[in-house]
This record gives sequence, structure tokens and C-alpha cells, in this order.
Amino acid sequence: MSSQLEFLKSLPYFENLDDEVIARISQDVLELSFARGQVLFLEDEPCRGLYVVKAGRIRVFKTSPEGREQVMLIAQPGDSFNDVPVFDGGPNPATAAALDASVVYLVPRGTMISLVADCPAALAVVKLFAGRLRHLTSVVEDLSFRSVVGRLAKLLLDLAVVEDGPAPVRQLTQDEMAAMVGTVRDVIGRALRQIEREGAIKIEKHRILVVAPGKLREML
Amino acid sequence: MITGIPVIDPEACDACGSCVEWCPTGAVGIVDGKAVIVSPRDCYYCTDCEKVCPAGAVKCPFSIVLVQNKPEGNTEKPE
Repeated sequence: MSSQLEFLKSLPYFENLDDEVIARISQDVLELSFARGQVLFLEDEPCRGLYVVKAGRIRVFKTSPEGREQVMLIAQPGDSFNDVPVFDGGPNPATAAALDASVVYLVPRGTMISLVADCPAALAVVKLFAGRLRHLTSVVEDLSFRSVVGRLAKLLLDLAVVEDGPAPVRQLTQDEMAAMVGTVRDVIGRALRQIEREGAIKIEKHRILVVAPGKLREML
Repeated sequence: MITGIPVIDPEACDACGSCVEWCPTGAVGIVDGKAVIVSPRDCYYCTDCEKVCPAGAVKCPFSIVLVQNKPEGNTEKPE
């Protein structure tokens, strides 16, 4: 068995597969080399597939609009990364760059999907889990990069709908808003007043009116 | 259904009177051993009653409403 086959068989994704299936996967796998600091792929680009570190280390991170970075994973030999878009079909949720001179295997998305394609229920489950993991990644991003005002502005933007429209109007107490953006009620009260002072919302008794969504976006 | 006044759960309310004490407009009272909004017109939804209720019996939910037909300056089209 070649070293690549042995390496693939040692990975959690493939350890239970027959040798002939691994051999078929191996034919599709690309071996890629990267210099230290070189970018493998960018956040929001279409996903090429699942990456596995053969040698070196890969930094997977998200970047704020101001350029601040939040590392999500330092992938070591044997670690896979970019799993989420392989299974939910979305874009890359983060950027990956080589921390050291590195060699990675790229297993194309189609090859990975083919492993579960004959079991629609399994495919549906992994797609659901991948979507949830993507959502949690965005929660980490929000908590890392946004202030409470920014997180509350994003929540209001995400939830606000027109009255009498097709979607029901969402109703939240300040405690519920606090729980959703990772803070406490008193801070939410102050943040709401700040957002109102800046003209993005108007609070009329029990209604928070999003009157200037553009201003809310500027607060993100 | 949101009516613009705090929602009080009579099952959870133990009539401790905190909301009555804190309400700045006297809109809340104790009736038959339970807190109720006795003067809805005086309530301006400050949400203090929700904040001080130790039993979590008072809820002040906000409807989050997108207002259309309000152009923001001349730079953004109505959404």
C-alpha cells in the first residue's frame, strides 16, 4: 500500500472504508505544497474540497472588516479542515494559510459527497450538522469581532420584518436579546438607546422600529 | 398577542409588590393577590417591572419591525 493510501486510511473520515474505496479516493486526491505564509484559500470563495494536512501546519482564521484575525484552528498533520462547506455546499467559512512550509491533500468535494451519496438520510444529517457548525462559526465571529452594539445591530437587521408581511414579526424581551448577543439586560438597554440616538431605530412603546437599516449596517 | 403593556403571568406572580413599588407611573397594582396593569394608559413600557420582578412573572417583549418608505438621505434606495 502506498504511503498516501496508508495516510488516508489513518484519517477518521476514511478509517472504516475498504481498501478499494480508499484506492478510488486516492486517485482523486491532489497533493499541494505551500510556502510559509502562503494562502491556500480565502473565506467566501467556492469550496474546492476537504483539506488534510500531510506535513506542516495550517492556520484557519476569520478576518474582521478592520483586519483583525480570529484563529479557528491550527491544523496539524492528520487534521482535516474546511469540512463545513464540503457538506453544506456553501462557500469557505474561513481563510486558510500555511503557518509553516506545508503539504496538504485536497480531497475534491464531489469525492467526499460520493461516499455518502447512496445514503440520502446520512447526507441530509451531515448537511444539517455542517449548517449548524457554520452558524456557530458565525457566532464566534460575532463575539470576537463585534461590539455589543454591533451584535445587537446585526440581530435587529436579521430579525426585522415589515408588519403584515408574509413573515411574522419577531418579539423579544431585552433578556432574550441579551442572551442572543452574549451580554446582559442592562447592557442591551443602553445599546438600544445608543442605536436610537444614532437614528437607526425608533422605540415606540413595545415596538422597535428599524427606520434606517443602512445605519444599522454601518454599526456592524 | 402584544398589546403594548407588560404581560404578567398570574401563575408565576407571588404578589411581592416589587413591580408596584418600582413602577414610575403607578400603572401596576395588586388585585386579588396578583399583579395586574391597573392603568394601561399610564404605562409607557419602561420595562422596569420586568427588570425587578424576582419571579420572572413580567415580560415586556418588543416587536422588531422594519419600516419601509423611509429613504435614508439620497444614498440608499428604499428596501
